[in-house]
Amino acid sequence: MAETLLELDDVHTFIGQHHILQGVTLAVRRDAVTVLLGRNGAGKTTTLRTIVGLLRPARGSVRLEGRPIHGLRPHAIVRRGIGFVPEGQGIFATLTVDENLRVARLGSDAGAPARLARVFELFPDLARFRAARAGTLSGGQKQMLSIARALVNPNRLLLVDEPSKGLAPIVIEHLVEALRAMKAHATVLLVEQNFAMAQALADDFYLIDDGRTVHHGPMAALVADDALKKRYLGI
Amino acid sequence: MRRAAPAALVVGLALLPLAAIEPRVYLTLTIAGLAMGMLIFLVAAGLTLIFGLMDVLNFAHGALFSWGAYAGFTVLVLLNERLGWAEAPSLGLNALLLLAAVAAAMAVGLVLGVVLERVIVRPVYGRHMFQILITLGATIVLEELIRIGWGPNDQVLPVPFTFQGSWDLADVIVLRFPVVAIVLGLVVYGAIALVLRRTRVGLIVRAGVENGEMIQVLGHDIHRYFTGVFAAGSALAGLGGLMWAIFSQSVRPAMGGEQLIFAFIVVIIGGLGSVSGSLLGALIVGLSYNYVAFLLPKAAIGVNMALMVVILLLRPAGLFGSGK
Amino acid sequence: MSAPARATPVAAARAAARARRWRRPTLWGRLALLAALAAVPLVPSFQLLDLALKIAVFAALVASYDVLIGYTGIVSFGHAMFFGFGAYGAALAVARFGGPTWGDLGLGLAAAVGVSALISVAIGAFSLRVKAIFFAMITLAFAEFALILAVQLGPLTGGEDGLSPRFPGALGHRLGAYYAICAVVTVLFAAMSRFVASPLGRVLQAIRDNELRAEALGFRTFVYQSAASCFASVVATVLGGCYAVWVGYVNPESTLGIHIMLDILLMVIIGGIGTLWGGIIGAGFLLTAQAFLPNLRGLGAALLPGSDLAVRLTERWPLYFGILFILVVFFFPKGVVGSLRETLARRR
Repeated sequence: MAETLLELDDVHTFIGQHHILQGVTLAVRRDAVTVLLGRNGAGKTTTLRTIVGLLRPARGSVRLEGRPIHGLRPHAIVRRGIGFVPEGQGIFATLTVDENLRVARLGSDAGAPARLARVFELFPDLARFRAARAGTLSGGQKQMLSIARALVNPNRLLLVDEPSKGLAPIVIEHLVEALRAMKAHATVLLVEQNFAMAQALADDFYLIDDGRTVHHGPMAALVADDALKKRYLGI
Repeated sequence: MRRAAPAALVVGLALLPLAAIEPRVYLTLTIAGLAMGMLIFLVAAGLTLIFGLMDVLNFAHGALFSWGAYAGFTVLVLLNERLGWAEAPSLGLNALLLLAAVAAAMAVGLVLGVVLERVIVRPVYGRHMFQILITLGATIVLEELIRIGWGPNDQVLPVPFTFQGSWDLADVIVLRFPVVAIVLGLVVYGAIALVLRRTRVGLIVRAGVENGEMIQVLGHDIHRYFTGVFAAGSALAGLGGLMWAIFSQSVRPAMGGEQLIFAFIVVIIGGLGSVSGSLLGALIVGLSYNYVAFLLPKAAIGVNMALMVVILLLRPAGLFGSGK
Repeated sequence: MSAPARATPVAAARAAARARRWRRPTLWGRLALLAALAAVPLVPSFQLLDLALKIAVFAALVASYDVLIGYTGIVSFGHAMFFGFGAYGAALAVARFGGPTWGDLGLGLAAAVGVSALISVAIGAFSLRVKAIFFAMITLAFAEFALILAVQLGPLTGGEDGLSPRFPGALGHRLGAYYAICAVVTVLFAAMSRFVASPLGRVLQAIRDNELRAEALGFRTFVYQSAASCFASVVATVLGGCYAVWVGYVNPESTLGIHIMLDILLMVIIGGIGTLWGGIIGAGFLLTAQAFLPNLRGLGAALLPGSDLAVRLTERWPLYFGILFILVVFFFPKGVVGSLRETLARRR
């Protein structure tokens, strides 16, 4: 299906002896925002890490545009057009903002300057602090930088892990605006605990519980279903 | 500010002995100390980057040091026997000879490094205990191969003529070779700093030292950088070995192991992954060793240990460590 | 033996294990080993006697190191240093500070034990401040320092030449020393076994597996780790004293040298980390190899007469030792004993 950009089929992942993912099956629709919801420890971050290759699935398959990527090393997977924005941002504190962006850039094609310009348009703070060491940025700015890094390459899929974590509400608002502006050009798989944020951005949802995908559908359906929200999210 | 304090420490340390030693001897000792520091820095620089980037404890570094020394030694002996380049009182020929020996030492170090990384180290990534054991095993094998190839005894090294002896500057004896060592050390430091700060490869290595996982998910094949850093570090170790051999005018199969302990102390003092830290740490170790060895010969090693303990108590991650 | 009516699960398990004790094959295996050890002097070969005793002593030394890394999870390279302390303690007491009497020997050992305990606690305190990898390297540096100190304090320690003390009473004779040391080793093994199985030992294993969790459960991990470190060092020290008694000669290289630490590491790897008894296999294998490999020296000359290279290749048996080392680490990451256990467990 050309509609589906990313597909996971019955993925099982172990961390050491712990059977974290016990059957994750999901399909990410092209040009839409899909959100992974679930309680703490359900396996959301592990799912993203499995997709990007930091963890190897013991069973099941991960396909990007139909082609399998499970078992490849992270750098090979990411070069197929995946931008990863990890939990905790993962920015290089000892490098400057500019260096952080440069290290993320994987090639200089014709579109590169335009993408960079757009990044600075979306996140004007980054343009202002271009020469500053990334470690001196505020939490919100670090998150912007982390997302910006995923945008400097022509990435087809963005994996974003809990971007609102640890940020003040007003910063989260700004973040949502920026992500909304990006939405038009990107396919996003979002992991988010903040339900309001998920609601504002997502088109589709998947619920993960105990390492399994238990429910999925259009976001509007979840918003309306109080029983489901109570059961799996406690809200 | 963070960097100024340790630098001030080194300067302070360097000036302290003026109280107990008269200026001319002091100058000789200082130059010897700086030279020793630079030679240790050559070994420590590679070690700290290897640990910083790859999280690998390379106990075979000492063996690379030894192999570099013996490779350079072979070149020196051969070219001297056949062409007399060491004995000739010509700066040009001597310099050429030194260059040839340096090239041999670094080439051997590099090749061995690549082999070690691929065959010995790669299979045990992430498991410190095994890295230590396997690199120790590799050290034994490499040292024994030296003993088989060159014989187990100490051998005298032909130092090129113009690098022997000393200059007499206003009653101060300044040994020539240590000055060469100091200059070389500074050049190497400059080169490393340049590569790290101004090139793309250096950028990726610096980022990788800080967060190896992240650099991979940004699309970089970290294994290639591992091999590269390991090879570069090994080449530097080989260079350090040759320079040390010339400094002490001899080669011994176990020379690498003995210097390795100094290098480890320096890496710990300086902070894992910091080349500037290694430079500073090496200078501290070299200077303090020489001053103390002059005043109280038996206390020299003890002082280094004490310094390491004190620095770690104040800065548990080392002078410029990033708290890895 | 029945468990009390309302025992906790742990107590019940231990009571059941106690009851099963006499039926477990491992106990009989150990008794058989002990009998074999006692019977060795019947064979009229000093080489064999020497080998057997060294295996016994080093097996216990490896076990004590295993207590440290396998059960407590502390990686230290200074363990051999405590062994050296014991050797020098015994030697100095009898050769320098006193005479060949039991009292002096006892005092010397006691002093060495005290020093070891203090230093191991001090080093342990240091480990709180720095990361694990720094700690390992620091212990290595300290061990090297001890070696250099032994060499430099010539008048006291005999410098590089060392000391040749004579020991009192039965210890001065081969058989007496042999049985005395075997007895000590047996007692130490029993002590270590009890230590590991005791409540203290269990807490240590919990700390090894998940330090944060143990702390969260209320255990002051530092105190426990210090206790274990202390215990392991003390055992090593006593063994060092035994070694001095047997060999009758103590010098820096043979008691404080880095190769002892290397040997211990290799033996632990062969035997397996976390298996106290694996030390016996590790020590047995390695020491036997070291005893017989030099005999290969003649082999090269015999096979390829006249070839200098062949002679040199076989002369340097440490080369093969090193290769063996690497191969064992590669293929038996859980140690020989550990791998065997896994294979047996899978068959069940």
